[in-house]
Amino acid sequence: MKLLKPTWVNHNGKPIFSVDIHPDGTKFATGGQGQDSGKVVIWNMAPVLKEEDEKNENIPKMLCQMDNHLACVNCVRWSNSGMYLASGGDDKLIMVWKRATYIGPSTVFGSSSKLANVEQWRCVSILRSHSGDVMDVAWSPHDAWLASCSVDNTVVIWNAVKFPEILATLRGHSGLVKGLTWDPVGKYIASQADDRSLKVWRTMDWQLETSITKPFDECGGTTHVLRLSWSPDGHYLVSAHAMNNSGPTAQIIERDGWKTNMDFVGHRKAVTVVKFNPKIFKKKQKNGSSTKPSCPYCCCAVGSKDRSLSVWLTCLKRPLVVIHELFDKSIMDISWTLNGLGILVCSMDGSVAFLDFSQDELGDPLSEEEKSHIHQSTYGKSLAVMTEAQLPTTIIENPEMLKYQQRQQQQLGHKNAATREAGSNPKVASMVNGESLEDIRKNLLKKQVETRTADGRRRITPLCIAQLDTGVNATSAAAVPPTSSSSVLTTPSKIEPMKAFDSRFTERSKATSGTGPATITNVNQTAVDRLKEQNLVKETKVKDILESSSDSDEKIPISKSSSLPKRKLDLEGEIVEKKKKGRPRKDTRLLPVALSMQSPAALTADKDALCVSAPALALKLPTPAPQKSFALQVSSDPSLYIEVENDVTAVGGLKLSRLKCTREGKEWETVLTSRILTAAGSCDVVCAPCEKRTLSVFFSWGRGLLPPFFWHSPVSMFHCKGPYIMALISAATLFVWDVHKQVVVIKDESLQTILSGSDMTVSQILLTQHGIPVMNLSDGKAYCFNPSLSTWNLVSDKQDSLAQCADYRNSLPSQEAMLCSGPLAIIQGRTSNSGRQATRLFSVPHLVQQETTLAYLESQMAAALTLQSSHEYRHWLLIYARYLVNEGFEYRLRELCKDLLGPVHHSTGSQWESTVVGLRKRELLKELLPVIGQNLRFQRLFTEYQEQLDILKDK
Amino acid sequence: MAKVSVLNVSVLENPSPFHSPFQFEISFECSEALADDLEWKIIYVGSAESEEFDQILDSVLVGPVPAGRHMFVFQADAPNASLIPETDAVGVTVVLITCTYHGQEFIRVGYYVNNEYTNPELRENPPLKPDFSQLQRNILASNPRVTRFHINWDSTTDKLEDIENQDPVLSLGLPLSCPPTKGLDLPDCAPSIIPENSMDCI
Repeated sequence: MKLLKPTWVNHNGKPIFSVDIHPDGTKFATGGQGQDSGKVVIWNMAPVLKEEDEKNENIPKMLCQMDNHLACVNCVRWSNSGMYLASGGDDKLIMVWKRATYIGPSTVFGSSSKLANVEQWRCVSILRSHSGDVMDVAWSPHDAWLASCSVDNTVVIWNAVKFPEILATLRGHSGLVKGLTWDPVGKYIASQADDRSLKVWRTMDWQLETSITKPFDECGGTTHVLRLSWSPDGHYLVSAHAMNNSGPTAQIIERDGWKTNMDFVGHRKAVTVVKFNPKIFKKKQKNGSSTKPSCPYCCCAVGSKDRSLSVWLTCLKRPLVVIHELFDKSIMDISWTLNGLGILVCSMDGSVAFLDFSQDELGDPLSEEEKSHIHQSTYGKSLAVMTEAQLPTTIIENPEMLKYQQRQQQQLGHKNAATREAGSNPKVASMVNGESLEDIRKNLLKKQVETRTADGRRRITPLCIAQLDTGVNATSAAAVPPTSSSSVLTTPSKIEPMKAFDSRFTERSKATSGTGPATITNVNQTAVDRLKEQNLVKETKVKDILESSSDSDEKIPISKSSSLPKRKLDLEGEIVEKKKKGRPRKDTRLLPVALSMQSPAALTADKDALCVSAPALALKLPTPAPQKSFALQVSSDPSLYIEVENDVTAVGGLKLSRLKCTREGKEWETVLTSRILTAAGSCDVVCAPCEKRTLSVFFSWGRGLLPPFFWHSPVSMFHCKGPYIMALISAATLFVWDVHKQVVVIKDESLQTILSGSDMTVSQILLTQHGIPVMNLSDGKAYCFNPSLSTWNLVSDKQDSLAQCADYRNSLPSQEAMLCSGPLAIIQGRTSNSGRQATRLFSVPHLVQQETTLAYLESQMAAALTLQSSHEYRHWLLIYARYLVNEGFEYRLRELCKDLLGPVHHSTGSQWESTVVGLRKRELLKELLPVIGQNLRFQRLFTEYQEQLDILKDK
Repeated sequence: MAKVSVLNVSVLENPSPFHSPFQFEISFECSEALADDLEWKIIYVGSAESEEFDQILDSVLVGPVPAGRHMFVFQADAPNASLIPETDAVGVTVVLITCTYHGQEFIRVGYYVNNEYTNPELRENPPLKPDFSQLQRNILASNPRVTRFHINWDSTTDKLEDIENQDPVLSLGLPLSCPPTKGLDLPDCAPSIIPENSMDCI
């Protein structure tokens, strides 16, 4: 074992409360007290590991510092992916940091030190919920959640996919919560608090699993932190500060029954931090020794207030090593490198220590595969995802495959190189809209937009030189060297006044608040005398002061009054706009109509107005009551509005109704003899169902299309799409016509089959572009009617347990891809139930989950197919294929490919269709192949189909 | 945390005659879009001895400020020479650039300014009454002194009782920050009006 104290890792003597090594091992973060704020520093790991790197001045030691926390930082933790860093501090905030790759190194403006931030880490989320200091934060395995605990006695679970959403607040501790740890398989989270308890919470329902108090009964006093840890095999949970026979211990809690029979003894003062090595080890096989397989064991480091550190192996009764007096003050945090051979320890005394072990000392670490095997065999579920990294030994048999893999790596390399380049040479990117920053700077004064506010103040619109987090038009203004100037401070006689100035640099706002008669109202008693003096001066000053400064008088109230009404106006403008549009622009292609639902009060049918009562039927749908007037927007591109005015008194006491339609600025209007109930339209037709059970249909440019339709009962809901008209009438039957072809697509189809329950209603109806009617029912189910099969098909069910159990998130190409728009997405709603999925994730045996996921994905594909939504079919097909690839379902994958490829040689008896919902199957297969190529296990399948596609191409 | 951080200030047209306008090119970064404008000011310190000779050369609103990096040139007329004490006309003084949001100052950049005669004769024997037209202003651009203050960036509408450090004019209609009491009921606000002078300077 080697021990090193890198003195350059420090916070200028201020305490370091937390340390965490990045998962890739190249850097680490420290958190603690800064000058007068909290401080997070990211350090380079290389100079710690290698002496020559430490001496090499070209290798930066500090990569970035962030002093954005207002008060001391108690905890820093990298996400498992290494993408994010979370920090929590006494300012009650948790900040989540992400590296901004596009900005080059920059110095802090005004700081004299040459210490540039080599890397730029930007705060992407600030999580506010705690009402007290945040003591510990922890990312769940797989980074789905972030947990934080605080002196406000709570633990908060954040949705790490969607900050700052809070999934749960765990209440139950009656003291300051000072440590958190996740179960490595994600089933539990444990917290330890000053209330002399350690609580284990279930992630399934965020309820308390158990509260352990016995080992903590004797605990007195307070330790600053209680960082507990869970062993990587999941078997043991080890607490911080516990007591056994009035001696401080770290209590071992067994997962099985939460038994507390063992502990780590020997520290003379309270244990502040326990940290398990992320690796599981097995005995190193020595030559000649017996080859009987030994049990895998874990390794654990324990730090204490007594300033010593002990490292334990769970297979030994005594500690592997104890280092006394490693620091001058209490140990605060420990972090292992991912390879399990090094640890960083930090202390309240403001220093860190690095320990380097050899494999001889700790043992042979198990590979990730073996580790996930242990998890799988113990818990039936492993979190490890199959990646090519786990198949490094597989031989690539096919040159195509090799090419593909190399291409992938190259792309990765290019990407890295690009980011490196952008990072190292900010000038490359110093372009804004094709103009170099230099050019812009030359003319900035002339070009910048300057306006006057209502009260005559100057207002400059700043030139945006880079947007955040887009990474495209990146510039680095900070890299522009300040214009050089000769030093003017040469005469020694001038030193005297400078001292007087020094205070002026830092004194706050005196000059600003002291101007203008407004200060007369200052009620600050201590300053009154001084103010009187000042005001005397001011009066004279105001008279003859520069023009420009005179308008700073009363500036605050004025600027306020000018900005507030403006905002209000904006707001009004927005509302007006919203009213006009009626519904979000996004879905203009598919407008689900829920008109009748908008005014439930008006739903009761006006019986007097009905000429004939509906035939006696078990089912009766509500019909809209005639309104005096209404307007709606049918589509925004081309813009199409319909306005309806009922009971327009015409000559001779006749009452007429007017229908007005505005299409791309052109208007037409017509009158109808009966009152118009609702209206609907599409690019092709405009329809208005009327009171007397008639329907008038017009071309959208105004000509009457057909004589009025006539039904047996009044219309309930109504929708148009393209040439299709869909009508749901109150007798609970459905019609769909194609007015172009002038045929009925669906005739008087009863909803009785699907509206089985008594109080079920239709909440939404819509038509796809292919004229397939879909309806959402109030019980969360959605059906579409398949005219060719003449059946109702269930396409979506909100309560579907399949949807809730299915876990295909690993197979999603990216976060954004979850948002696939189309009729299916509209029906099923965009509410991301990933949170719900995740909570189920660990309660379902893996096998069952695989099956449900497959079933779910298959049903999604089928639904997309039924709705003839090609876009969504492709989306789900790709997810399905990716899932098959990830989970290794070769048989199904082969079936899928076979169907997509079809017969290579023409045969007359073939039933194979070359397209599916308008997509060419072979094109789909081409898209699938790269996905298949990601798993080396399927390289033969890849080759097989690649070759066959090539043959087809040659033909 | 501060929503706006100043990345750089370049002094343009420097050195220049005393009566020519000041020009600063300011680039700053904003982490979240601001609801209201920033207010920038240039303050010329007429005399080191007393604040009463401070002149606000100009104040300007800058906005709208979406998230991102921005720059603008702040130009302000030269100070009114008649307001500068004759004894302080020649020699070293200070020009300050301050920025406030919702009336709270969060950054102050100070530069030393040296005013001297270019003519060697005048330099040797300065006239009793300073001849400003002959003075050259030289701003020590390489040595800015930056002071940052923590302020409350969120216009939380929490009621305020304790506004001791606040200009009462500012607080009339603008609920700005929270009481500095370490209350547990206001998780959103930082104790921001306690003057926390973070010195980032040399």
